[in-house]
Order: sequence, then structure tokens, then C-alpha cells
Amino acid sequence: MGKLMIVNGSPRAVKSNSKNYIEILKKNINKDIEEYNAISKKIDLFISKLNSCSDLLLVFPLYADGLPVTLMRFLKELENAKLTQKIKVHVLINCGFVEPEQNNVAVEMIKLFCKKNHFDFGSVLRIASGEAILKTPFAFIAKWNIKKLCKSIEKEKQVNIKCTMPISKKTFIKASTNYWIKYGQKNNITKEQMDTMKIEDI
Amino acid sequence: MNLLMSDISLNITLKDDNKYVDLSKLKIANCVGCFGCWTKTPGKCVIRDDATKVYPLIAHSQKIIYVSRLYLGSYDITMKTMLERAIPTQKAFIRLHNGETHHYQRNVLEKDAVIIAYGDISEKEQKIFKKLVERNANNMCFKDWKIYFVKEQDVEKTVIAEVNKWEN
Ligand SMILES: Cc1cc2nc3c(=O)[nH]c(=O)nc-3n(C[C@H](O)[C@H](O)[C@H](O)COP(=O)(O)O)c2cc1C
Repeated sequence: MGKLMIVNGSPRAVKSNSKNYIEILKKNINKDIEEYNAISKKIDLFISKLNSCSDLLLVFPLYADGLPVTLMRFLKELENAKLTQKIKVHVLINCGFVEPEQNNVAVEMIKLFCKKNHFDFGSVLRIASGEAILKTPFAFIAKWNIKKLCKSIEKEKQVNIKCTMPISKKTFIKASTNYWIKYGQKNNITKEQMDTMKIEDI
Repeated sequence: MNLLMSDISLNITLKDDNKYVDLSKLKIANCVGCFGCWTKTPGKCVIRDDATKVYPLIAHSQKIIYVSRLYLGSYDITMKTMLERAIPTQKAFIRLHNGETHHYQRNVLEKDAVIIAYGDISEKEQKIFKKLVERNANNMCFKDWKIYFVKEQDVEKTVIAEVNKWEN
């Protein structure tokens, strides 16, 4: 079994939640790894490294119900690359809302990418409340699921799993409201200012 | 007002206060996920490029027509870049909407959407795109939508037929 290439498809790469999920993953996987940030645009270097790997894990956020543009650009480059071996693609997607199912369409897009370009499709982990979960007492749930994803990649046993914070939607909304109010406060912006109905002053 | 927004140049003139946005002529960087439009300058993107002229038009339209090539069952990069940059039209705050968590909208009109997706689009890809538009409807205030899948050479006549419906 070859190495695992981990691609961070978030435009926030170094400061992303995806990055935090990758850090947990790295602690739990018994496989040599390579890493790449899709925003770095060093595709030739990436391809040469990918050619020493058997598995590719795409880690990215849900953007407007689909793939972030940063990842789409990367996938287009990957389509044109000359690969010397068959590679299996796995997905670790996270979204801001509380329902993991909101990620499903984006996963379908990656499956279509694999079909179109003759990649094998492997395992999927869909994390919801992905902006918050690691900063809460429920971080262990995300960690536990990432471990499961690691096992499935190592053992070549396909899984399609999901997780979120085990709280009601009402509680989630309350907690997220407080989170955003605090976020604004750090920038000296009040809740009322954040609540503006105006878009570009109109 | 109504808005026609496309990722290719169309030979078309609109009447009244209807607007045509040709994304292929604009300079629009991709969203970097900084949340400045929610927490620093609410309602305004901190990247001051052409997108800042477009998302208010999206928000204030009652009818929209989007014209886009597809990639993997998604809007291709040009259109998707603009749609990602439109999040200043939403607030950071979350509500229940159609049984799911979604953001509150700012001053965004509910709208009828027509989406003209062009290219060589497989059945599988159509199916994914339909699901995407259905999901987008929750976040983009679509009350109704219609999707056309057409070949590139048929884009213009499909657009003209749809624009004519605005004027009747
Ligand atoms: C432009 C933009 C669009 C987004 N669209 C969605 C969405 O449609 N659904 C959702 O649940 N979260 C959405 N999010 C939230 C992100 O998925 C969430 O913040 C995620 O944790 C970001 O991960 P990252 O830090 O790895 O980039 C969006 C965020 C941005 C900036």
C-alpha cells in the first residue's frame, strides 16, 4: 500500500477548519503521508508527489452547497495531469450548518469527478457544525469519526459516515448566535451592526 | 428589477430597468472565507472588486436568469465564484428555514429563477445540478425555479425566449 496524499481544498488553508481536521487525522493514521494546499498552485510538484501515493484524501468546506472554487480549480488541473498509477479518492467535507446531509451534493460532485477521470472512489466523512464542533465539548465526536475514517483508509474498507453536534437545532442556533456576536465584538462590531438589512448601503 | 447574469457574452439588450451582467467582462476574485462581510463591514465584502456591484443586483431582483457552463454538476468556476462572493447578502445569524438551519437574509427579495445550464451535460450531471439548485434555493431566496439544459449554440435563443417572458 502506498502513501496517502492529503489535499486541503479550503481557501483559508492555513487557518481553516479543514486544517484542524487534517491535524487530527495525521495523529491517527498509520500510513506515510504527503500534504498539499490547493491554494498554493504548485501543481507540478503536487503531481510528482501524488505519483508516489495510492490514496488521495480531499479535505474541504462546503461552499454555497457545493465545492469551493479553490477546489474546483485544483480538480481541473488534476484532470489534466499524467498519473502513473491508479489512485483512490476519499472525502472529508465539513459544513457550517448543523445537518451533515447538506454536504451530500458536494460528495456526489467528487464521485462524478472520479467516474469521469477513472479514479477509484473510497470513503467519506461528512462533518456538520464544522465551524464550531472542535471548540466545544463535542470535539471528541469529530475526532472519533476522523479515527474511523483513518481506519477505513488503512484497511481499504469503504465507509460513508457523518457527524454533527448532538444538540437540538434550537440549541445550535442559540449557540451559533452567541458565537457570531462574540466574533463581531472582537472587531468592535455590535450585534445591531451585524444585523443590518443593508447590502452595500442600499 | 430583473437580472440576467451569464458567464459568456450574449448579444442582447434589455428594456426598462432590467440589468445584464456579463461575468466574463468583470474582475472577480474568489471568496477567501474571511467572514468580514458578516463581522467587520456587515453587508459589504472586504474585497472591493467588481463583485461588490453584482451582489446588490442579485439581492434586489425579483426575477433572475443565470447562464452558466457546468462542471461536475456544479456551476462552473466563473458563475460559482460570483455566487460564493454573494454571501454579504446574508447575515451571520442562523434561523430555521424549511426545517433546516440557514442564515438570515438581509434585504433580499424572494425571486423566480431561471437557470440555463449549457455544455455537454450527462444525465448524471443534470441530476446533481438539479439537487444543487434545489439546495441553493434555500440560501438564495428562490421561491420558484426552472432549469434548462442546452447546447452552447442554443444559449442565446433560450435566453431571448426567457427575457421576452419578462416583458409580457
Ligand atoms: C462563501 C461561503 C459559502 C458557504 N456555504 C455554506 C453552505 O452552503 N452550507 C454550509 O453549511 N456552510 C457553508 N459555509 C460555511 C463553511 O462550510 C464552514 O465555515 C466551514 O467550517 C469552513 O471550513 P474551512 O475553515 O476548512 O474552510 C460557507 C462559507 C463560506 C465562506
